[in-house]
Amino acid sequence: MASDYSEQISDEDKVRIASNFILYSPPGEFNEVFNDVRVLVQNDGLLKEGVARAIADYNKDQLTPVRLEGQTHYALVTEHNDLGSGRFLDPKAKLSFKFDHLKKEALDLKPNDGEPSTEVWRSAIESQLCSYVASHYPHGVSAVYARNQGSALTLVCCIEDHQFQPKNFWNGRWRSVWTVNMVGGSTAEVRGLLKVQVHYYEDGNVQLVTSKDIKETITIAGEEETARELVQLIENSENDYQTAISENYQTMSETTFKALRRQLPVTRTKIDWGKIVAYSVGKELKKQ
Amino acid sequence: MEQQLDCALDLMRRLPPQHIERNLSDLVDLVPALCEDLLSSVDQPLKIARDKNTGRDYLLCDYNRDGDSYRSPWSNVYDPALEDGAMPSERLRKLELEANHAFDQYRDMYFEGGVSSVYLWDLEPGFAGVILIKKAGDGSKKIKGCWDSIHVVEVIEKSSGRSAHYKLTSTAMLWLQTNKLGSGTMNLGGSLTRQSEQDNTVSEASPHIANIGRMVEDMENKIRNTLNEIYFGKTKDIVNGLRSVQSLPDQKQKDALRNSIKEALIIRQARTTSQPSE
Repeated sequence: MASDYSEQISDEDKVRIASNFILYSPPGEFNEVFNDVRVLVQNDGLLKEGVARAIADYNKDQLTPVRLEGQTHYALVTEHNDLGSGRFLDPKAKLSFKFDHLKKEALDLKPNDGEPSTEVWRSAIESQLCSYVASHYPHGVSAVYARNQGSALTLVCCIEDHQFQPKNFWNGRWRSVWTVNMVGGSTAEVRGLLKVQVHYYEDGNVQLVTSKDIKETITIAGEEETARELVQLIENSENDYQTAISENYQTMSETTFKALRRQLPVTRTKIDWGKIVAYSVGKELKKQ
Repeated sequence: MEQQLDCALDLMRRLPPQHIERNLSDLVDLVPALCEDLLSSVDQPLKIARDKNTGRDYLLCDYNRDGDSYRSPWSNVYDPALEDGAMPSERLRKLELEANHAFDQYRDMYFEGGVSSVYLWDLEPGFAGVILIKKAGDGSKKIKGCWDSIHVVEVIEKSSGRSAHYKLTSTAMLWLQTNKLGSGTMNLGGSLTRQSEQDNTVSEASPHIANIGRMVEDMENKIRNTLNEIYFGKTKDIVNGLRSVQSLPDQKQKDALRNSIKEALIIRQARTTSQPSE
């Protein structure tokens, strides 16, 4: 037990703890968590320097959507389009932007073609992914990023959908990241990471945290055909994941929850407390 | 200080409940002066210990803790041994023993397993107590489950001695966890807290334990229903609002079809009712 109040931890430890709190903010609740952390640390100078990295990591990890001026689609802030120096690429608009991690705004737009040699592949996947996202995600935002490393081509598909309803005390977010590694040859490895987090907090704190890793292979043909195969794989895998979550809900509710506590005792009536107390008192008297 | 405590409690209501213990210890490290307030106001998953004197399991919480030792409700002894650990008065200890027997039966009837403990302490005036129940699932169908109940009750006896005011604050924690090929890891957990207050007559036919027992039973039944709705209804609906397994245009077509059937039915109904009966 910490009994010695004068024992203060180092600034380094304070930053580590504050950063952890920020990284664990439920979707849509960054501002509230950050405000709590400010009041607890009571050293804005230390926080400004110390947790900037955690805030940027949090926004990238959450696949934060952001609107760029003059664009009808949302761009995403992720580790896969991070250009360094606080700038991010929106390959669909062929723009780069500076992201204000606290205000969550895009500034200072500049033309940026990304890597033109990858564009045929990237845009083929992007158009397939967009129509898939439109048909399965009510408020989905997606992006495809491409990177050339020597002869290898890496394509990353990101999907984000969220609903923030603080007035009804709940928030939720779905995230998918699909990475295709093409190193030449007739097949490519595909890795998927799917995550869902839901927070319900009216007179309580209930959270669903779920994630699934997927590893698959697709055959490489022309851009169009490969893009179709990839997005079909994404659709099937995500449907399977969501269906499996629903099945877990069913089992948890019908089996696990029921076995933990009954709705009523076996007698199907509430307890006769007069009888229980008389028995308990009797048991105590007998012992004496 | 007060603002800091409010912010610490707000933080505990937001951060994933699956890490309550780690978050709490980080908070105490960050603001050591909040230690006692946080330990007494943040509910944590209950821990089980075995009473060396009786061989019976009991539950640990902040209310039977003194320093680093915990008092067993069965033998009334602190472990590790403590020379002058806090003890309920003689009258209250007698009530505590009876309450432990009564809620042990309650636990058996509703939970059919698990561990329960009741701790009482003197207040000026009256007394207070906590009723704890913990039940872990058997892990069947690859799903781990656990339930923790923490009911804190304050009893203020009226000067006549024939009635008392009861204030109950109940927290139920429900933890569900699985790791399967199809769904990956799925962790659904947390807690709900509810309060209720009432006045009751105190008599031989309706002693404190029976009055408290009825309140706890009603409250826990109510919370169980709410847990059922929120865990398996609300959070599931939120997930299915983020993504749809069926493709959305299909869904719109279905809705359109449903609406046109509804309209057709309404028209038909309107026709039949407007016709004169034969």
